[in-house]
Amino acid sequence: MTITPAVAAPTFDRAAAFPEVQAVQAWCRQGDWDAVARHFAQLPTADAVYFTVRAVGELPGVMTFVGEVAQAQPSAVLPKLLLAARAAALAWDARTTARAAHVSREQFDEMHEHLRYGEERLLEVTAREPGNGAAWALRITNARGLQLGQAEARRRYDRLAKHHPHMYFAQAQLLQQLCPKWSGSWDAAFGFARRCAAAAPEGSLSGALIPELHAEYWLSLRGGERDAYLRRPEVQREVAEAALRSVLHPAFRPTYGWVGAHSHFAWAFSLAGDHRRAAVHFRALGGLADRYPWAYGGDAEQQYVKHRDLALKAG
Amino acid sequence: MVEVTEVDGVPTLFAPSTGRTAAGLIFRVGQADETLPLHGITHLVEHLALHDSGLSDYHYNGETASVYTHFHLRGGESDVVGYLGKVCDGLADLPMHRLETEKEILRTESRTRGGTSALPLWRYGAQGYGLPSYPEWGLARLRPEDLRWWVENYFTRENAVLWIAGERVPAGLRLRLRPGARRPVPVPTSALSQTPAWYTGDDSSVVCSAVVRRSTAASVYSGVLERELFRDLRQEGGYSYTASTSYDPRGDGYATITAHADALPEKQGAVLGGFVDVLARLRHGTIDPASVAAVRTKSLENLNHPEIEAARLPGHALNLLTGQRNLTVAELRAELSAVTVAQVHAVAVEAADSALLQTPHRTTADWAGFAAAPTSSECEADGRRYAHREDGELALVIGPEAVSIVRSRSCSTVHYAACAAMMSWPDGARRLIGHDGIVLHLEPAMWALPYQEIAALDAGVGPARHLPQPARDPASIPRPAAVRPATVPPAAGDGGNVGEIIAIALLGLVALVLALTTVLLVAVAVDAGGGEPLDWAFLGCLVVFTGLFATPVVMLLRRRRRRG
Repeated sequence: MTITPAVAAPTFDRAAAFPEVQAVQAWCRQGDWDAVARHFAQLPTADAVYFTVRAVGELPGVMTFVGEVAQAQPSAVLPKLLLAARAAALAWDARTTARAAHVSREQFDEMHEHLRYGEERLLEVTAREPGNGAAWALRITNARGLQLGQAEARRRYDRLAKHHPHMYFAQAQLLQQLCPKWSGSWDAAFGFARRCAAAAPEGSLSGALIPELHAEYWLSLRGGERDAYLRRPEVQREVAEAALRSVLHPAFRPTYGWVGAHSHFAWAFSLAGDHRRAAVHFRALGGLADRYPWAYGGDAEQQYVKHRDLALKAG
Repeated sequence: MVEVTEVDGVPTLFAPSTGRTAAGLIFRVGQADETLPLHGITHLVEHLALHDSGLSDYHYNGETASVYTHFHLRGGESDVVGYLGKVCDGLADLPMHRLETEKEILRTESRTRGGTSALPLWRYGAQGYGLPSYPEWGLARLRPEDLRWWVENYFTRENAVLWIAGERVPAGLRLRLRPGARRPVPVPTSALSQTPAWYTGDDSSVVCSAVVRRSTAASVYSGVLERELFRDLRQEGGYSYTASTSYDPRGDGYATITAHADALPEKQGAVLGGFVDVLARLRHGTIDPASVAAVRTKSLENLNHPEIEAARLPGHALNLLTGQRNLTVAELRAELSAVTVAQVHAVAVEAADSALLQTPHRTTADWAGFAAAPTSSECEADGRRYAHREDGELALVIGPEAVSIVRSRSCSTVHYAACAAMMSWPDGARRLIGHDGIVLHLEPAMWALPYQEIAALDAGVGPARHLPQPARDPASIPRPAAVRPATVPPAAGDGGNVGEIIAIALLGLVALVLALTTVLLVAVAVDAGGGEPLDWAFLGCLVVFTGLFATPVVMLLRRRRRRG
């Protein structure tokens, strides 16, 4: 009989899997704008830019540094993009993750103030660079926070998709808007997720939209219905096929966002009781994880550790 | 070539043209010259002047715009002579017997013509260039002497320009106009504390106006904006059916560029977003040179019309009338050919700075860097304060210089000196419209207010700015819930008042007769020195009946005092 070693808690830091992103964060803290700008200039995809911009946006105090750069370089686009990302982070922090009914008027006012600040900068960025995928993706999230409605969010995605038809982070942001909690519908959300997953090149992350949406649907259910949902054969089959087409496909590369994608598949298989399938994703994660959807079931860390241990034991 | 000549002292522009003669007489007067209590006067003059000329079969018309009034037609030379002669004769002696009929026609016209744009009102307020947004509220109070005074001031020889496109200036053409003076265009006012600004409209469309310096590049910008809006909102997005712009010189060296896009209600958010994005793109210089070239080419092609000089005569006449530079076709062609992307970008920046955006119903544009156009006043009147009968949050303040309705987070204040007009209803209701467009509506029944205060308000505004309104349906007059009987409809307004007064008079009369009879009987009995014994039972009955009739009279009188 072997004794299962006590495995360490997961790392939820989004930059953990990407040392170069941590380097960008460090340059921002040190005030080395040239290094930051050089790094962004060589990023290959809109998803990469978006991921890195969001990572900078998480840094407290970064607004002062980037604000100074923006002032010194009024026609530069990148500082504006970073300011907007920071504003978005502050906005959603101000709102908190509580349900709308539990968010005070003052909290909403503060949120909207941050969002308006960011949106004005993004309006300029997308005006100057209509193909700036990261800016459009941020604007999709802003449209949600500013409650500009389904049609406007969709329009923003369509403008983006003209230049970046398979931008995973933008798809994930629009998917949130399409859910009923943001006055969308399950039909629209499932339709969008399935179209994106099917149209994306093999090995890309868009397949993870499937477990992401099932997580949202699962969250909307209660009691026994919720417990049984992920075990439904058609749900299991769809998640498994999506995994095979994306993170488990030979063409898959651990691009920005892969931690979140594996996390969602691990979660969906775990809650379906398919620990053997979940194990593949936990192993790929190797101690990294995204806080969501684990936080949907309570304490993210506890949930993750519990299901990971079960999975690793099973297969 | 355009020839400049004169007909009876009126500057006249002539350009050769084949076919029927076209002609127009333009006066430098329009809605922007009016005030709110006179609003409609120019239009009414135009209709009355035209009254006598409408029996022939040639095509004629009149048009009242913001800064000009235009009488024009196309027909034979004799038609031109006849029509313009009759217009001038009509102006000299307006057919006042037609006054009430033409007022009715104008009211009908405004109903069938549909909604006016709210943009002027929000930009300029309830005066000058803002007046085209308002209904022609002055019509009801306009008297013959008002119209004559208006004609003498504005429809004069010096304040007119004639244009003619045809074989020649028709022989025998006479323009019998009074002498007067050339009137400069009104100075623009502003109801906006800052721009770019936005306000919420009441439909699903998006409309935006900008005021820029008049230039050929600005007209090209307007064309480029239309192309971009059409491409984004209709061709690519499919959110709009119509996406168009217009470029209108204001007559003072500036031009108004107005853009409009319609939307299905479920797409209005996307139309607003797409509209804002197009404006931002042009403003930040992302301008497709092909778009500029296409607009330039199209404008140049329009100049290739064989009778272009004749076609441009009305615009030329208006430039002459307003003292604006008029480009010849050759000059315009040269300027159009020279318009660059950078020039169009400079106009886009100017347009963005002065923009006023009307967003669809229940949407805002604060997220896009637009400031909310003022919907309430900055300061409160200083004066006597009255409570609302139902809403504790509301207060009415009536002072010697201004009146306010104060809410918890905003207030509406109209200074009498800056009051454009006041509508007044016979039941005491008042609606004051400030020059800034702020509206203050007062329902006297809803306030614990002595009636004298309404009189104070009337005096503060002054009769020249009163707009008397017809009596309202009593059922539509707001009253506090406490006064309203639960089942019986309220005896309110004029109908209620008349009924009450009749009841008080009749009941009071009976009570008075009964009381007098009682007093008389007692007096007679006393006078007779007790010869006849006093019938106490009969007297008692009289007193009781007097009381029965007098009680409702007292109650009614008390109720009236409470309400007043």
